[in-house]
Amino acid sequence: MQDGASYQELSRRYGFAPKLESASRLTQLVSRQDSDLDEITKVIDKDPVLRKRLLRVANPDAENEIEYTVETVEDALMRNGMGCVLVLAMSTPLAQALTKSFQTMLSLKLEDIDRNAAEPLQGEHLLGTISFSGKIEGRVYLRMNLASARDIAAGILGISPGELTDTNEITDAAGELLNIMTGNFKSNLCDAGLDCRLQTPEVKLSTDFQTPSVPGGGLEHLAFRAGKIQLFVDVTANPWSD
Amino acid sequence: MPIKILSVDDSRTIRLIVGRTLRPYDCVLCEAANGEEGLATAAREKPDIILLDVTMPVMDGVTMLTKLKEDPELKAIPVIMLTAESGRDNVIHIARLGVRDYLVKPFKEDQLIDKVGRIVPLKKKEAAAPVAAPATAA
Repeated sequence: MQDGASYQELSRRYGFAPKLESASRLTQLVSRQDSDLDEITKVIDKDPVLRKRLLRVANPDAENEIEYTVETVEDALMRNGMGCVLVLAMSTPLAQALTKSFQTMLSLKLEDIDRNAAEPLQGEHLLGTISFSGKIEGRVYLRMNLASARDIAAGILGISPGELTDTNEITDAAGELLNIMTGNFKSNLCDAGLDCRLQTPEVKLSTDFQTPSVPGGGLEHLAFRAGKIQLFVDVTANPWSD
Repeated sequence: MPIKILSVDDSRTIRLIVGRTLRPYDCVLCEAANGEEGLATAAREKPDIILLDVTMPVMDGVTMLTKLKEDPELKAIPVIMLTAESGRDNVIHIARLGVRDYLVKPFKEDQLIDKVGRIVPLKKKEAAAPVAAPATAA
């Protein structure tokens, strides 16, 4: 069946959830090197989620909002630059996809928390990475402790954590979670004109906590919590590499 | 004859979820971990419907779909894309190649049943017949 339908028609036909307009618009704006700071400020100011996250990035040492020294979007942009805003725009669909995955596959409410409020990861943990390349280069890192990885895999497979005997099932579930997050995130990039391809995710046990930033690009650290489960996501990207 | 469904996904987790979702229905599930295996399994098993991921090693889902549609014996098999990618150009390209539906991950199990059930007749398995009570002596 050949199909000449527009994206809007296909989106309706397939029952797609509406996209995050502000994140798409922001990605489009920031991907241009001559982007207008006023317009970017307006887009972020209109979206409470983006605004909150930008201010959090601009106040890395603050324990809570009362301690913020950078209080406006404009100041935050001046301080952090465009690389940070692009990563912020990209990580919004990524965070939404992760939250939705937890809701849909595990029936758990995942909260986006301040990195400083999270209990730090220690020792051996599960590390998933996925790279993307094309008009934008970057990498997404997903980290969790082994108990969280086991709980997630068991929840997705609908069994109790004790029934999980195969380590491959744990790493495969983490890889699929990473795949779902980055697939949604990649769609946002491509829609903004930043065509790129995803590599196959790599999941392994690690004691390495380093997240090297892509040269010249931005880096954002995210943390999430659902009960005892904690997830740490780092996103680094550079759309201006060529 | 039970419905034959082919799930092509490199993630074992997704194939397990698909299997669990379809377990109550009268169907046979075949699996493949990439497009190359998917084409071979489709040619061998002639499934009634294919659930197809996009990003996979060896051969991705778009390449498999292209080859499937070029094959006179396989091109009529309906395909539902089951992927996290819903970018505009990708969706339009895939629709032009010819798919019956598109389900974005993460998905709810009833969404999958609904979409598959619109294309092939999915019937719940009949409950196991109750064990006959032993005859009582008169």
